[in-house]
Amino acid sequence: MFKLLLMWRYLKTRFIALASIISVTLGVATLIVVNSVMSGFSNEMTSKLHGILSDVELVASGMGEIDRVDEKVEQIKSLLKDDLEAVTTVVRVPAMLNFLVHGQPRYHQIMLIGIDDQTFGDVTDFRPYLTNHFHRNGDVFRLMELGYDDELPEAGWSYRREKFRHEAYIRQELERMLQDRSSTRLPVAIQQSIAATAPSASSSIQEPLVNVAKLPPLPAQKPILPRLSSDVPTGAGSEYLLDGPSSLNPSAVDTWNPAPVDALAAYRERVLIAPFDPITEQRVGIIIGIGIGRLRAHDPTTGTSQNMYFIRPGDDIELTIPSAGSQPRPLLENCTVVDFYSSKMHDYDSAFAFMPLSHLQKMRGMIDPSTGGSTVSAIQIKLKSNANLNSARDRLREAFPIMQYPLMVQTWRDQQAPLLSAVEMEITILNILLFMIIAVAGFGILATFFMIVVEKTKDIGILKSLGAPSRGVMSIFLGYGLSLGIVGAGAGTLIGVLFVVYINEIAAVISMISGREVFDPSIYFFSSIPTLLNPLMVLAVAGGAMLIAVLSSVLPAIRAARLAPVEALRYE
Amino acid sequence: MKVKLVNDQVSRPTAESATKIHDVISHAPFRSKNGSAGAVTMSAHQVYKSYRAGSQLVPVLEGVSLQVRQGQFTTIVGQSGSGKSTLLHLLGTLDRPDQGEIVMNKQRIDNLPARERDRIRNQDIGLIFQFYHLLPELNVLENTLVPYMIRHGVWSYMRQRRRLHEQAKELLELVGLSHRLTHRPNQLSGGERQRTAIARALITRPKLLLADEPTGNLDARSGNEVLELLRQLGEQQALTVIMVTHDERIAQQSDQIIRLRDGKVVANAAEAA
Repeated sequence: MFKLLLMWRYLKTRFIALASIISVTLGVATLIVVNSVMSGFSNEMTSKLHGILSDVELVASGMGEIDRVDEKVEQIKSLLKDDLEAVTTVVRVPAMLNFLVHGQPRYHQIMLIGIDDQTFGDVTDFRPYLTNHFHRNGDVFRLMELGYDDELPEAGWSYRREKFRHEAYIRQELERMLQDRSSTRLPVAIQQSIAATAPSASSSIQEPLVNVAKLPPLPAQKPILPRLSSDVPTGAGSEYLLDGPSSLNPSAVDTWNPAPVDALAAYRERVLIAPFDPITEQRVGIIIGIGIGRLRAHDPTTGTSQNMYFIRPGDDIELTIPSAGSQPRPLLENCTVVDFYSSKMHDYDSAFAFMPLSHLQKMRGMIDPSTGGSTVSAIQIKLKSNANLNSARDRLREAFPIMQYPLMVQTWRDQQAPLLSAVEMEITILNILLFMIIAVAGFGILATFFMIVVEKTKDIGILKSLGAPSRGVMSIFLGYGLSLGIVGAGAGTLIGVLFVVYINEIAAVISMISGREVFDPSIYFFSSIPTLLNPLMVLAVAGGAMLIAVLSSVLPAIRAARLAPVEALRYE
Repeated sequence: MKVKLVNDQVSRPTAESATKIHDVISHAPFRSKNGSAGAVTMSAHQVYKSYRAGSQLVPVLEGVSLQVRQGQFTTIVGQSGSGKSTLLHLLGTLDRPDQGEIVMNKQRIDNLPARERDRIRNQDIGLIFQFYHLLPELNVLENTLVPYMIRHGVWSYMRQRRRLHEQAKELLELVGLSHRLTHRPNQLSGGERQRTAIARALITRPKLLLADEPTGNLDARSGNEVLELLRQLGEQQALTVIMVTHDERIAQQSDQIIRLRDGKVVANAAEAA
């Protein structure tokens, strides 16, 4: 009985114990918060990665091609049987994407992925990341009238109509002006330039990009095609500039010598020369990562970020792709951006673009004209949720031995192994470091308790002189340590869990007070701070803290128990 | 009334001690009525005790023997450093002698295991100290009840709580502290603290009370009050009291005086028959 009473009284009267409690509390809370955020990050990241990547992938080594695809898909289906959920084929090719911003060309190096829009969404998380909610089911490569995310500026057909009507109007106006003045004031170079673009310009509606078809594959001195709508030759005619300066060198115009010489050029002619009305028609649909078309401007004075869209669904862009085969040559293609891909994984959002698989195959010459069979870069497989990833991979490896097939079989974990193991390592080390905090709190308890034992030496003597057994005296201090641990760990758990639950609100408040964004989504993968509270982890942390509290009170308690009553009483 | 001389050392009754004995006879308020008739409650036989001070062994008690009969009031007197407190501690099982035996109620107690000695201290012996030795975190009532709290676990204590509290309150009323039940020791005067300590020593109704200079830290008046209280309670409860003191006046009133000098009993004066 005296143990409880004295323990309670010591707790109530020793404020130094409060310091120990606070250090335990802080340690526990920090550990829980950091652990939750870290595992939240890693969990979110792995699930994103997992979603974007397929479970298992057969990929042609060295950017090569996989032939006899149907055969292999059948083989995979019969091999995996019940474990198989879905399978799709993709073509991956590095590409260059360019478009004009205020008359200045912008280039992006991207990974162009040709997807089969029927099956691709079954294998990976694709549709949920599209900004137009009509695209989440249905034909993803069609420009939509409605349904674009509210965060975007005006997009879709209405925007496209508006834009091209405006351009057509500008072009007409420009033509009129040029005709009015051509006799007297226009420099020769510009007249020539107009002459060069005349066929499209005169048709007034026809998109000038048609000229692409007439260009040799890579015009040596021509970085960008002239577009009357936005690119007016600079120099002498700068007084006619409508839309900012252009990089176009007027003299280069003379070097244009459109002459389709090979099959590719012929293809382009066939496909692109056809009359095309951008107001009512769209080109091949392309879905680009939102990071390509958007710039996130951070204002350090207000601490807020603003989105600037260089491009939006409804705009046309230009792609340069290497052709397939042993001697790759650049191919040009005009596409209409139909949607953004926003996985919130910056690496992917700023690099991925998707277009229809069949179109890409046709363009790059991946279809064998004699058999009609096509090649792909990778076969992606989704397994049933209860299937064993590694065993499926191993079975596939057995079926497609690397010596026979130039194929690599990889799970998504294999593909992201360096990142995943780095994150895991980080979490482990952070946990060790943070547990040190609690250990420090433990030493605090040790020191505090030694002080209390010294201070209470006389009381211990009194208790012993009244017949208290050594074990009882010891249990006062052990119980004291335990109750410090319980209170500290309890408070720490509460604070930590509350912090984790309200972490985004807390971050917002801190942003408001400090005036700078604590969590800038443009830097991280995620739009809000992800957390994952693992109850086992919380229990382990709280239990560990209590254990440390008890352990660090053991030594002082033993010392107290060993005190000889006479010496303790003599102690003044 | 007779006290047997048990000092094995050569006892040298001096002229001085003779007059003291005479003094004791003349007025002895503490002298118990049944002192000589009682059985031997506690005895020490050839007790040696030394303490280690650094590398040196400092002898404190060198062969002390004594006998205390039931109901007797015995004082141990001597200069400071003569070992009188050490002797009391040995008798109270707070410490073990290096040599010799201590016997209580015909049972040797100095070589019992620690747990048994804890039990004896808790149940059979009441202890009072010069510096009261109350627990500062507990109030008067709780301090009084500490021996019971030590004896009982939480549940059995809680079951008897009411009865024990009644008993403690009665005892505190007896020592005149019924108005101070919820005061902490630091809110009490020296005399009140010592009376609390007495209540604590007597709460378990021991038959033996050991007091280490209970008035040593008190002014004359509260010292007298405490002595008077001890006398009354001693009579009421038929206590055997062993008191260490340096106050000759108190010693003179006792049934038996044990004089210590340099760790030896120089005179074991008692009432002459």
